[in-house]
Amino acid sequence: MIYPLIKGLATTLRHCVSKPITLQYPEEKRQVYPRFRGHPELQVDEDGRLKCVACTLCMTVCPSRAITKITPAEGPNHEKYPAEFVIDLTRCIFCGFCQEACPKAAIALNNKYELAQYDKRVLIYDLEKLRAKS
Amino acid sequence: MINLTIDGKALQVKKGKTILEAALANGIHIPHLCYHPAIKAIGSCRICVVEVKPGPPRPQPACTTTVAEGMEVITQSERLQDLRRELVKFILVNHPLDCPWCDKAGECLLQDLTHELGIDVVDYEAVKVPPHIDYESRLIERYATRCVTCGRCVRVCRDRVGASAINFESRGYFTELGCGHVPLECEFCGTCIDICPVGALINKLFKYTARSWELTKTKTVCPYCGGGCNYEVHTKNGHIHRVRSQGSLLLCGRGRFGFGVLEAPERLHQPLIKKDGQLVAATWDEALDYAARGLKEVIDNAGPDALYGIGSPRATNEASFLFQKLIRAGLGHNNLDSPARYNFARALAGIAAVFGEAQVSGVALGSVKKGVYQSPWEVQEEAKGSGFPFVLGNAHHLSHADVILIVGADVTPEMPTYGWRIMDALKNENFRLVVANPRKTKFDRYANLNLRYQPGSERLLLIGLMEAVLEAQPGYSPHLEAEGFEDFKKTLLKTSLSKVAKQAGVKDADLRQAGKLLAQAQAPAIIFGHDLMAQEQGQDNVIAVADLFLLIGQPCNKGSALYPIAEKNNTRGVCDVGVMPNYLPGYQSLAEGGGAFAKLWGKPVSDKPGVTLEEMLDQLENNEPEAPRALYLLGGDLVRLLPNRQRTERLLQKVRFMVVQDAFLTDTARLADVVLPVAIHAELDGTYTSTDGRLGCLQAALSPNGTRPDWQIITELSQRLGYPMKYGSAPAIFAEMVQLMPIWAGIKEGHRWPHKKISVSLNGKFVPFSTEISIPGEGKYTLIVGKTLAHSGSYTTHAHGPQTIMPGAELKINPADAQALKVNEGEPVKISSTQGEITVPIAVTVEIPRGVVFLADHFSDTPANLLTSNSNLCRVQLQKG
Ligand code: SF4
Ligand code: SF4
Ligand code: SF4
Ligand code: SF4
Ligand code: SF4
Ligand code: FES
Repeated sequence: MIYPLIKGLATTLRHCVSKPITLQYPEEKRQVYPRFRGHPELQVDEDGRLKCVACTLCMTVCPSRAITKITPAEGPNHEKYPAEFVIDLTRCIFCGFCQEACPKAAIALNNKYELAQYDKRVLIYDLEKLRAKS
Repeated sequence: MINLTIDGKALQVKKGKTILEAALANGIHIPHLCYHPAIKAIGSCRICVVEVKPGPPRPQPACTTTVAEGMEVITQSERLQDLRRELVKFILVNHPLDCPWCDKAGECLLQDLTHELGIDVVDYEAVKVPPHIDYESRLIERYATRCVTCGRCVRVCRDRVGASAINFESRGYFTELGCGHVPLECEFCGTCIDICPVGALINKLFKYTARSWELTKTKTVCPYCGGGCNYEVHTKNGHIHRVRSQGSLLLCGRGRFGFGVLEAPERLHQPLIKKDGQLVAATWDEALDYAARGLKEVIDNAGPDALYGIGSPRATNEASFLFQKLIRAGLGHNNLDSPARYNFARALAGIAAVFGEAQVSGVALGSVKKGVYQSPWEVQEEAKGSGFPFVLGNAHHLSHADVILIVGADVTPEMPTYGWRIMDALKNENFRLVVANPRKTKFDRYANLNLRYQPGSERLLLIGLMEAVLEAQPGYSPHLEAEGFEDFKKTLLKTSLSKVAKQAGVKDADLRQAGKLLAQAQAPAIIFGHDLMAQEQGQDNVIAVADLFLLIGQPCNKGSALYPIAEKNNTRGVCDVGVMPNYLPGYQSLAEGGGAFAKLWGKPVSDKPGVTLEEMLDQLENNEPEAPRALYLLGGDLVRLLPNRQRTERLLQKVRFMVVQDAFLTDTARLADVVLPVAIHAELDGTYTSTDGRLGCLQAALSPNGTRPDWQIITELSQRLGYPMKYGSAPAIFAEMVQLMPIWAGIKEGHRWPHKKISVSLNGKFVPFSTEISIPGEGKYTLIVGKTLAHSGSYTTHAHGPQTIMPGAELKINPADAQALKVNEGEPVKISSTQGEITVPIAVTVEIPRGVVFLADHFSDTPANLLTSNSNLCRVQLQKG
């Protein structure tokens, strides 16, 4: 009768002295593996130009219709580029299909995973917010 | 019928079909690339190879091998797929990886083939071909890099469009599509863009705006000419991005590139009413109340007759029908007409004079309820018809004619569809083409004989032709029952052939040869157009044409008919459904107004013919007491399009109250008291009737954006005028309309009236016409005001596409005349006539003979009709401007 009690107490005591498995979020952030699928972002080339050619394949493949707008335009050298690009992060399910579909490796999921906001509108990302900073 | 098996499936196929056609028609897929049903197969890509037994031991191209009795065809095998795979790899060696931004992606045959054949890598290498990309040409971009040299574009441009504007350059591996390393100068029909299996030809208006899979496709009808091409408008997010014709792919440039009219910034989206002499924006209710009040005041003071109605050849059949119902049943008179009075209505009247009024019997209201846009009248066994509508030709039969005489028409600009039919006719080696026009036109190059007569001398030419026919075969007599032939010969055909030839400015020998061709013809057809009808004596001109047809016509033979050109999309329909002062819908005489009409409308229709548009303007001119006090215009920019602009403007200003429905603030709308903005083609449901009487059905693809369909406005106004007409939709109006039009028996979408099962008995009488030739005004030059291929009426001047091709008016002039005036290409000249003067840059061309100049009437800043007086011809002076 007393034996199970001691056994339980021992477990409690063991955890009191061992390293905690929870994180003190948000003071502490979780480190994720490089292949973690976070927010989609638009990649830039060495010159800082967007790689995207506004082919809309990502928008077509996106299962949750998170990519809500890609407005194509023609640049001075007849290249096609997105004049507008909008992803609604509140809809994104981080599946990475867009990254897979993109013929130009122009969209990729980064390691960010935070989404809590007081105002959902903040999560509707336009071209500037989507541009990868690096 | 031929029996064969394809992949073990037993088939019966018409003789002469190819294996590919047989397979496709029976749902068997054979990969192919250079074949397209609209053009002749040439078997150049070899991707359609199949095994044929009995036959040579090597695979045969399915697109050029015709079926034979007992043939066994295998379309799928490892060997065949391997061959196809290698062939496509050869193409891919050099194909750029442009798919992400190539507009063709998603509907590209090369993508499909690569996918179907499972090609993942191309294990060949080859020298790179220089990347020639033509960004300069107007409306079309050419990417030689993407071209698979299938030759589809070259063939369609040469054989169907008849422009021969592009061809291959260089040889072998370096073969490249081009037109001499200069920007494209062609008809800009854009057919090559759509027939190209890949993205080598790109529509600049569509470029980068949408991907093929994002588009919503709505079938509707082109709103520009009487050709009535069916096409699809492709929209995305409520905007129109391109139009495409299925099947033959043929459209002209206005149709393909003119859709910008819909979203033109000048479009009206809000009604306007006149306040203190200014047109100001108003709400729909305000404007409709204001319009009704103004009209009512006139009606109360001066009687219902004082309101004159002018229909528009742009309006749908339904709107036009309601319009005439409002005037006839609501106001109780027949004072209405349309601008067709100045061209197509003359053709109808002229042909009616010779071949009689429309009669039809043996059609009965069916018991089974028909679908939307279908006539409830059924054609019975004993159905008979006679009169002028039965002389009007079926466009689909035009290519069966063995001689076509084109007189007073520049076919391609006025009616591209007829041009395509002539191209088809030319494939027949016994076919002969005679082109009579003062100007050199496109079909001169295909004609067996050109008759370049003096402007305005059509009737003399036609007399000459009739004499030449009689001379070619002494004792020649009409094939149809004809009255008055002997008298006609004695009076009109008495001048000697050489004399009329001289007066008309043509060679005797040419006339004689033309006469010979016409006399020998089994199925002669005559096409005539604006140049001939728009003259002051247009009606006499048409009578002369009809007389000639009475002499040589053999309407029992397919294709032998008269083909007048109805300028606008619904010119024919507006006349058909009764927007005419002398006919009820379906060309029924006003005396019929007591029968079915009275029953359905609750009161009989007045049998007093109304005045024509021409007569109405004369009444205004002479301040006659009967002159209208109010006008209700369903569109139709009279000021710009009728001859003698100043007079039209002055006369319209005399009218006390004017209501105009239009999509733009036209020169006429500016004079109105109320302007009501209307929805136009891709925003509308309804029907149009093409120039050959074929019914085309419109479907709305875009929101009307503040505007309203014509028919809705008419019902609103009718309620306010105390004659409520209530309809829920365009099909409801159509149903009432066809019920009243027995002559439209059997009509439905894509079918023409008169119905082919109605047996036709035609006879006619030779009607004399005046041989007086006079061109108004003074001056050294004869001005011809006409139409161009880039534009249709004034609408397309609001669209980016047509404006790129022709941004403004230009005076076409012979090089020698330009030199004498010391004016160079593109420099302005001042054109002055007795009516006014305008300054226009010149375009020097050998198309125009000396002493003649040509000006198009589409543009409002250089209004050609400022110069004319009562005809599309006038004499002018030119001066360096
Ligand atoms: S990750 Fe998935 S859900 Fe998110 S944008 Fe890409 S495709 Fe859409
Ligand atoms: S798939 Fe890639 S290139 Fe295409 S639109 Fe999306 S991000 Fe741009
Ligand atoms: S646009 Fe028409 S005329 Fe011009 S090259 Fe193409 S098919 Fe020929
Ligand atoms: S441009 Fe297009 S249609 Fe013309 S040859 Fe090349 S691939 Fe064929
Ligand atoms: S304008 Fe005439 S020929 Fe051209 S696309 Fe329209 S209906 Fe066809
Ligand atoms: S489709 Fe038959 S050879 Fe090209």
